Amino acid sequence: MAALALALAAPVLSPHDPLKQNLGNALARPGAAHWLGTDNVGRDVLSRVVWGTRISLVAGFVSVALALLSGCVLGLVAGYCGGRIDGLVMRAMDAVLSFPPLVLALALGAVLGAGLTGVLIALAVVYTPTFARLVRGQVLAITARDYVDAARALGAPGWRIAWRHVLPNATAPIVVQASLSVAFAILAEASLSFLGLGIQPPAASWGSMINAGRGYLQQAPWIVFGPGAALFVTVVGLNFVGDAVRDALDPRMREQRKGAPLPGRST
Amino acid sequence: MAQVIVRRLLATIPVLLLVTAGVFTLLHLTPGDPIDAMMAESVDATVKETLRKELGLDRPIPVQYVAWMGRVLRGDLGRSIRNGEPVIENVGRRIRPSLQLALMAMTISLAIAFPVGIMSAVRHNRPVDRVGTTFALFGICMPNFLLALLLIFLFGVTLRWLPISGYTDPLEDPIAGLRSLVLPAVTLGLALAAVVTRTLRSSLLEALAEDYVRTARAKGLSEGRVVRGHVLKNALIPVVTVLGLQLGTLIGGAVITEYVFALPGVGRLVVDAVFARDYPLVQGVVLLIAVGFIVSNLLVDVLYGFIDPRIRY
Repeated sequence: MAALALALAAPVLSPHDPLKQNLGNALARPGAAHWLGTDNVGRDVLSRVVWGTRISLVAGFVSVALALLSGCVLGLVAGYCGGRIDGLVMRAMDAVLSFPPLVLALALGAVLGAGLTGVLIALAVVYTPTFARLVRGQVLAITARDYVDAARALGAPGWRIAWRHVLPNATAPIVVQASLSVAFAILAEASLSFLGLGIQPPAASWGSMINAGRGYLQQAPWIVFGPGAALFVTVVGLNFVGDAVRDALDPRMREQRKGAPLPGRST
Repeated sequence: MAQVIVRRLLATIPVLLLVTAGVFTLLHLTPGDPIDAMMAESVDATVKETLRKELGLDRPIPVQYVAWMGRVLRGDLGRSIRNGEPVIENVGRRIRPSLQLALMAMTISLAIAFPVGIMSAVRHNRPVDRVGTTFALFGICMPNFLLALLLIFLFGVTLRWLPISGYTDPLEDPIAGLRSLVLPAVTLGLALAAVVTRTLRSSLLEALAEDYVRTARAKGLSEGRVVRGHVLKNALIPVVTVLGLQLGTLIGGAVITEYVFALPGVGRLVVDAVFARDYPLVQGVVLLIAVGFIVSNLLVDVLYGFIDPRIRY
């Protein structure tokens, strides 16, 4: 919530212009004027961390939203159509999953070019198979239910059944997966920016700030630790949110909270 | 078992075909012509045209794919634009540091995860368990590159105990070699240790609630013998699954770790190739990594059969 507030209120909360250089005040220690110090060209680290929140959250939420959308469409089509289409879509998803996520994002980032758009597309591609598999599994389970048979018997077209009956009933696990994926998407964006393939300087991104600061680790470690702490706290926070969403939406977790032990689960 | 392996290998073929198609398409996703993307605008048009012909980029895309596949099947993954050497030779030179790093990271992660996971499960909901779960959360949420910089700051810059970059082959100079790999391996191993700890704790707790554990305790066995003799082996399957799934994270982590610590491994090769816009090298290395990843997952699948004889495919 704090990260979201920072992102929304960045123009108000940011004490200085995040891009304004002041070479006379470079590598200044944290103090009253600059709470988190300044970087190698005299920019205020705190202001850049605040503005960086925006980019990180946009990257996390938008890439997961894109993956969610494409994964839902592919999963629905595969699960509902079945047969060859199902086989083709799922083998394609297996192929995407055959690449280590960061290596795939790196390769896509290389061909799409550095910048926010490239990162968003690369991360969306990386996370699409997770959602496609999940939605397909849900569709297969839901299409076997009686109310879907009833809708078919009433003559409802396939797309309408998928949209009105199947998808709403598959929402809970999708929301849980999405909430857990945002934290990892933020980490992935920071990793790509750290490697120089994400957000390009002088724009403030936590990953690129940490990369820029690593050359000054001895003289000015605050350049790394400010955005590093923001990234770590945000990811921990989003993990807690993801766990809370799962606890709220997963009936097994609800049962556990009420105290009824579940067979074969003790955590 | 041979049947299982053959069946799994056959199931891998369509995925491998799609992976090759994906990697091939990668080169053609570049905005405009790959040659224009690789070379500066100032480069002579005839030089570009020659390279275009040399790489076969002037032919129709399906023809290019078939020709490329033919070369890949013969083990020819193309040549680097930068140094003109075959991709295989480039990777061959870099594979040793990467394998040493992965092996050391895996060893460190298991050396941490097993005692922490077991203590967490056996002392469930006690302070030791809380420390263990906090460690797991910390390891999962901590980005590789940030942990690497924290370790460099502490052990390299402040305490000056360990080198902060560079590589010495442990097979040539064991002490200096191990010292050069300690910080990268801890960086890479800690995230893996966190995931394994979480999984091991959870599967041990499940196994500890089983009837055969109650029987073992009723027989008067000590808690140590119950865990070692009965619980641990039954709790290993999810751990092996997670180790298999984490291979991708390990490879991705190696890219960043090798970049931060300037290790001359395959991960660093990918990053360098990306920055140099050496697309044939990017294409070749990414294909090799993906195939290596698929083969490792296949090995993990086969390993299940050995760990748990009840598993049949």
